[in-house]
Amino acid sequence: MLDLRSVIGDEDISSAEGIERACATITQKEKEVNERLEAILSRQCQIESKLSGISRSMSTLHSVENDTKSLADRISQTAALAESVSAKVRRLDEARSRVSECQQRVHDLIDLQLCSQGVMTAIREEDYEKGAAHVSRYLSMDQNLLQRTADDVTGSVTSVSKALQTLEEATTKMREIISQKFDEAVRKDDLASVERFFKIFPLLGMHKDGIAKFSSYICQKLEVKAQKELRTSMDVAKAEKRMAVAFADTLTSLLENFARVFKVNQPIIESCYGTGYLLNMYEILQVECDKEVRNLILEFNKNRQIAKRVAQINEYMKSDGGVTLGHFRKPSGGSVDKLNPKDIDSLIGEITIMHSRAELYFRFMKRRVVADLEGSSLEDEDKKAKLSRSENIITKCDLSRQMQELLGTYLLLERYFMEESVLKAIALDTFEQGQQCSSMVDDVFFIIRKSIRRSTSTQSMNGICAVINNAASCFEGDFINALKGPLKNGYPSGYIDLAQAYNAIQSSIQQGKLQTSDAEQARTNFIVQLNNADMSTEFIETLWATMSEEIRGAFANMTQRESEILESCMSGLKGVKDSLKAVVDFGMQQLKSSAIKPRLNPWVDQFLTYNHRLTEEELAAYEAGETFAQFLIVQIDGLLNSFKSVLSPRNYDALVSILATEVTSRLERAIKKSTFNRLGGLVLDQEVRALGTYLTGATSWSVRDKMARLTQIATLLNLEKVSELSEYWNPNENNDMPAWRITPNEVRSILILREDFRIEDIKRVKI
Amino acid sequence: MEDYKFLFKVVLVGNAGVGKTCLVRRFTQGLFPPGQGATIGVDFMIKTVEVEGEKIKLQIWDTAGQERFRSITQSYYRSAHALILVYDISCQPTFDCLPDWLREIQEYANSKVLKILVGNKTDRDDREIPTQIGEEFAKQHDMYFLETSAKEAENVERLFYEIAAELIEQARSKEPISQHSRSTADSIGLSSLGSKANYLSQSGCCSSLSSHST
Ligand SMILES: Nc1nc2c(ncn2[C@@H]2O[C@H](COP(=O)(O)OP(=O)(O)OP(=O)(O)O)[C@@H](O)[C@H]2O)c(=O)[nH]1
Ligand SMILES: [Mg+2]
Repeated sequence: MLDLRSVIGDEDISSAEGIERACATITQKEKEVNERLEAILSRQCQIESKLSGISRSMSTLHSVENDTKSLADRISQTAALAESVSAKVRRLDEARSRVSECQQRVHDLIDLQLCSQGVMTAIREEDYEKGAAHVSRYLSMDQNLLQRTADDVTGSVTSVSKALQTLEEATTKMREIISQKFDEAVRKDDLASVERFFKIFPLLGMHKDGIAKFSSYICQKLEVKAQKELRTSMDVAKAEKRMAVAFADTLTSLLENFARVFKVNQPIIESCYGTGYLLNMYEILQVECDKEVRNLILEFNKNRQIAKRVAQINEYMKSDGGVTLGHFRKPSGGSVDKLNPKDIDSLIGEITIMHSRAELYFRFMKRRVVADLEGSSLEDEDKKAKLSRSENIITKCDLSRQMQELLGTYLLLERYFMEESVLKAIALDTFEQGQQCSSMVDDVFFIIRKSIRRSTSTQSMNGICAVINNAASCFEGDFINALKGPLKNGYPSGYIDLAQAYNAIQSSIQQGKLQTSDAEQARTNFIVQLNNADMSTEFIETLWATMSEEIRGAFANMTQRESEILESCMSGLKGVKDSLKAVVDFGMQQLKSSAIKPRLNPWVDQFLTYNHRLTEEELAAYEAGETFAQFLIVQIDGLLNSFKSVLSPRNYDALVSILATEVTSRLERAIKKSTFNRLGGLVLDQEVRALGTYLTGATSWSVRDKMARLTQIATLLNLEKVSELSEYWNPNENNDMPAWRITPNEVRSILILREDFRIEDIKRVKI
Repeated sequence: MEDYKFLFKVVLVGNAGVGKTCLVRRFTQGLFPPGQGATIGVDFMIKTVEVEGEKIKLQIWDTAGQERFRSITQSYYRSAHALILVYDISCQPTFDCLPDWLREIQEYANSKVLKILVGNKTDRDDREIPTQIGEEFAKQHDMYFLETSAKEAENVERLFYEIAAELIEQARSKEPISQHSRSTADSIGLSSLGSKANYLSQSGCCSSLSSHST
């Protein structure tokens, strides 16, 4: 029920108007309620029809529920049925497999009978393939099962056990016969029979024996061949004019024979024996290979006098100890006759070939054995063990050891060759007029490149890296010392003036020959070595780059580790560049102290003899004559010109740079010792500009930076008035002017040099 | 640039079987390798260590002790910053060969190279070389001395860390000079080996290194 109060609100119903208003409100409400009621009633019909629909559906739903229940029942019945059917099927399967097993046993038994009858006949008729096939059939039967069958059927049929017995005996007999026959064939060297019986072994379950017997047969053949080839190696080499590589050729042939045998027999082994047996053969062959290589190396050592040469080198290197500059090392005791590096050149080449052949042989064998094992059906464990055994055979076999020793010999010889040839190149260093460098740079780099390149043909990363290390040592030792030697004594400054030089030339002409003096030669030597060092910094970079590329090209399958080791050794070679740069720096410093400073300083100091407090007339007179700047530039130009044509471009630039630094700092010192008036300052500014222009023209890089301080000092001394400074003062860099390189205190002390500037003004200037 | 300040090359030498490879493996990989085969030629491992807040890359060269690899291993001496000479405390012959090794070092290595004598396999109870004998030998030949066991990880970390610390110190004392002429981390290390007199004067080092080993 409507609460009246809530409808009329807080309308005051004590007044007539209030009541009227309340009445109106109530009427309004009533109208609204009526409308709502009507709306609700209008939907009654709809709702009723829906309800009747629902009750009709209810009955349908009931029938659905019943249907569902019956369906569920039927499903569970079906499931039970299926269960029982599948159980039956399973039983049926079991039964069938038993039947087939049974059939197999029956087959086995039948075969057993056939085999036992056939095998003896076959043996009698010497049809070993047939006999072996019977045995193989017998061996393929489940031996335990056979035994059980035999036990099961005892009593009724005794022939089963009898057949078994026959076959067992036959197997033993066949094994004996085949072994005998094989041995006989070997004795008669009847290759066809050897191969015939070799194929029978696996049928008799004698895989390992077969491989072993066959391998040792092959070894016999290889031994004979190897010995014959070794005996005739010298004659063959002589005939083919390959004396220098006679042993490399023999070793190549020897290893190739082993590899060939391996390759030829691999298909037979794989088809008759299955996979996984190559390792057994390799193991036996490797022992024979080791033996033959040992004989060969003995012969090689004897023929090429390895022991003697190694001893000679060792004794010689020990006797020397230190390094002699620019000369051959001389044998000290006199007992050692020195080995000529040229004489061992071809021997070194032969050794690298030998070593590379062994590397290739190992790679070949390993690839085949590993592929065979990987493709086999061996258990993982077994496979892993066999893989590591094959690895072990290769690393521990005598051939490996022999080759490691050979590599050691190679490295010793190569080092001797490299060091001696480098010393020789240094000793025979020649300089041709007009060149900037002498012969030793090209020669030394040629030798070292040759050695590194040759090392790559050993196919051994260990060998290559060692040669690279030795090359770096050689550069850092003998070569750098040779470059540095002439630089140590400084640049002989020679003639003090032109008159002296003139006299010297006159006197030589009078003597009828224009002799180059010792000092002249020393000067040339100094310059040439300085250029050599500069050129070498470029060459070493090139050597590093080309060798890196060549080695990486030759060893496409480097391991990560090998690559890192190589990288590290190569960076040692590249590091030689730093040492070479240090030599250049050292030489430049020497040049500065012995050639630049002593000549430059007196010229610059001439500045002090000039008057810098000029009157107008004096200025005119000064400018009419040779000015200081002109004098200085002529002198410097003369000095630089004497170096320009002989120094390498980079060295010449460095020289100009050093000279610019020297001139500016010396001149600055002279300026600070002088006093100027307005005109003096003007002249100075012009002269500094002239000097700057000259130096800029003398070199390819900018001297502006080096001239900055001096230019600024000249600017200060060229001021009209002290107050003008604020127009120029620019402590920070901007586009037009370089930053001031002079501190405010320095500015003041420079301004004081102008006698016409007043101290008070200078003190007052704001900077 | 990689994030290390110094690169030092450390080379291990000594007779075959004294445990060089095991020491390196213990330090770089934290394990004692079973069935370790003899080293062929040289092998190398890298480990970055931090000493006094400074990252240092140690390039450790493990050489083969067998005689026939001598010409390979000799070539690595020159660029070494530190040489670790190892013998087996349970095997007199490996100790008796030390003078031969020193001759090799003298001939091929930088005269300023840092040398450390290491007696390995302290875990074994069939010791043949008393600690004191090793220590005296080291003192006589201007070497640091330490006894280790690669098997029990005894003193192995310490060996390499002390080397790193010593090399840094030497590098620092030379650094200002080398800075402008050489720029790579590598050559800072190489050029900054302290003078021999410098570390000889630190006579306490020898005993400080050996005081822990028993
Ligand atoms: N008890 C014991 N045995 C060790 C220790 N260190 C190494 N060994 C053993 O010594 C043998 C040789 O160790 P390696 O590390 O291969 O020796 P190596 O000095 O590298 O030998 P080469 O490479 O031939 O120069 C191995 O059998 C190791 O197990 C150790 O600290 N204690
Ligand atoms: Mg080792």
